[in-house]
Order: sequence, then structure tokens, then C-alpha cells
Amino acid sequence: MGKTYAVLPCNGLDKCAGCVTREIALQLSAKTDNEIICPVFYRVAEARYNRLAQEKPLLVIDGCATRCASKLAAEKRLKITERLNVSDYAKEENVTLGAGLSLDADALGLVRRAVTKLLNDSEKDNARQMSEVDDFFPSSLDYEIYKKDKFIFRLPTNEGFYFNENDVWAYVSGNRARVGVTDYVQKSLSDIMFFTPPAIGAEIVQFDELGVMESGKAIWEIISPVSGVVTAINEKLINAPEMLNQNPYEQGWVAEIDLTDFDEDSDLLHVFDGYMSILKRKVDEYRVKD
Amino acid sequence: MSEATFMGIPRSKIDWSPRIDYDKCDDECMECVNFCPHDVFAVRENEKPKLIVKNLENCVVFCRACANTCGLDALVFPEKTATTAHIKQIRKAGVSNG
Repeated sequence: MGKTYAVLPCNGLDKCAGCVTREIALQLSAKTDNEIICPVFYRVAEARYNRLAQEKPLLVIDGCATRCASKLAAEKRLKITERLNVSDYAKEENVTLGAGLSLDADALGLVRRAVTKLLNDSEKDNARQMSEVDDFFPSSLDYEIYKKDKFIFRLPTNEGFYFNENDVWAYVSGNRARVGVTDYVQKSLSDIMFFTPPAIGAEIVQFDELGVMESGKAIWEIISPVSGVVTAINEKLINAPEMLNQNPYEQGWVAEIDLTDFDEDSDLLHVFDGYMSILKRKVDEYRVKD
Repeated sequence: MSEATFMGIPRSKIDWSPRIDYDKCDDECMECVNFCPHDVFAVRENEKPKLIVKNLENCVVFCRACANTCGLDALVFPEKTATTAHIKQIRKAGVSNG
């Protein structure tokens, strides 16, 4: 294993999945130089674990969708390098976790597979595909701006941009599209802490999920404006999700897709004028939840 | 607030909102209520169940973010493909009706 982690499990005693996170963390630390961050102790002994989290890349293991460990990492402003959600992983592996807290044979099998997966993933750390640089995407974009109080929302005016009403853009040229989110999304979410990309090769139908972004405030599905096959992802976002906040149209793009039927997709998309009026309405009606 | 529409269709014609699986929901954590910025859910303090889906039309079409925050996996949404087909059908009918 090339890379060792600081491992932050949720360690929850509320359900079996929390106990599974604990077991995975224990086995990871037993097999390699991974070091565990105890979420309970972290709350009262911040200095010790902050140092550890700075020295090693952080692996967060959540038990369920409540994401207690991810939220703790966000609260402590830690940068998450790798993550596993046990409930999601159990679904992928067709394992039903029991209602009790003790780990049965199925749960222990899931632990073993998760540990193997995490150790293998770290070895394949740099093996993901990158999009090649070419002249498919405009070298510079022109923007129109909508201001509301201190907030500025940009929207590219270049031809070829399409938008769905879920605030995701697609730049289309021929049978190829680059996809990303609009300023409305990144400003609503505030500081984006984590980006989970779609799988390369995944066949996406319009309005399917195309990855997930998370901030301390919320988790947000990227809803694909187009149908097709994912051919590339913006690998840089995995280690630098803040690029989504900096400019979600240029360096913060999400994925590239080979289109299957853009004529059909375009029926449910807007071009600049249509989406700009929707953006303005959303911004005007937006209110921060108490 | 302006009339709610999605792709030009009145929001009321689109069946998209969470369904609560009360076999899974503990009716206690209220994570979804705290999460949803659109007030889709409501809490009735002295009734059972406490948690209900109250403002269906506030739900953003195709958004399932609350389901992703539910630790008990107790929120279910309609099939996206069927919803998309329904939207296209309504739009087509609208165009042909002039």
C-alpha cells in the first residue's frame, strides 16, 4: 500500500453500519500504517487529531446517509481525500446489515471486502483517467452577470451552452458535451468540501445523477442535462473541490459525455435567455433556512 | 412568489415529491425537515405520525437530496424516467393544442 491514511470512522452505536465503520477502521490500522481518529475523542482533543489529519490524507468512513463522520470533518475544516459510505457499499454488495449492533458473518464479510477495496484503491490512486486537453471547449468564456445584494451570479453567453432547470449546464459540440453546475448551485451550497464523480463508462439518461457534491450545508446531486456515456471526469475536483466554487464553468467542470440523442434532450433544456430568467427568479426567491 | 412551473408546465401537474416509508422512518430524527430548504416536510407535534410531506409542489423536480440525507433510507421518489416521459407528453400536448 503506497499511501497511508488518517481514518475517521463514524463509529456510531446507533446502528449496525456504524459498528461496521469501526471494524473497517480497526482492520485498516492493523494491516498498515493507517491511523484512526476517534470521533468522540476528537471533539475534546482537537489538537492531537488536527495534526494527524494534516500529516496524512484523510479517509472518512460513514455508516449511513446521516454522514456524521463527514459532517465532523466539515466542521473541523478537514480536507477529505477518500471516503466510504457503508450503507451504500452494503447495497452495492447486496448485503443486508442486521438490526442489532453485533457483526454477523455477512457484515464481517463486508468488512473484509471494504478493507481490501480501500487498500487496492490507494494503490490505484493515480490510475483514474484524465480528460485530454484539446480545442473542444472554448479557451475563454464571456459572461453576463446578475447581482443580488453582495452576491454575483455569472452565466456564460457563449453559443453551445444549454441549461436544465436543475441548474446544471452542458456545453455541446457535435456529439460531445462537457457538463458542470451553475453559479447558483455553488453559491447556494457555499464551501464545497467533497465531490464524488460519476463512473467513467457509465450510461446516463437525462436527469440521472451525474455525481454528488457536498458542503457543510448540504449534499447535492448533479442532475445530468443530457443522455450519453461518461467519457471523462474532472479529476482535479476530487482533491480540489473548491474549484467548483471558484469557477464552475471553466476549471470546475464536472464530466464529459458522448451524447446519444441530444435532439431529444434539448427538448427539456434552455439556452441562455431562458435559463437567465429562471436564475434571476431563483435568486430573488432564495432565502436562507433558519 | 411567481407561479411554480417546470419547463413551462405547472408544477401541480408533475408528480414528484418524497414518499415517507413509515416502516423505516423513526418519526424522530427530522433530518429531512432540517435539511430541505423548500419546506416540503412539516412536523405535527401532537399527532402521529409527526412527520408528513406537506408542500408537495415545493419539491424541486428531480431533486432527491433529502433521500440522500436520510440515515434510515425512508424516503422514496417516483421513477425519473416515467416523470420525464410525463413531462414531455404534457409539453407535446400543450404544443399541439396551440
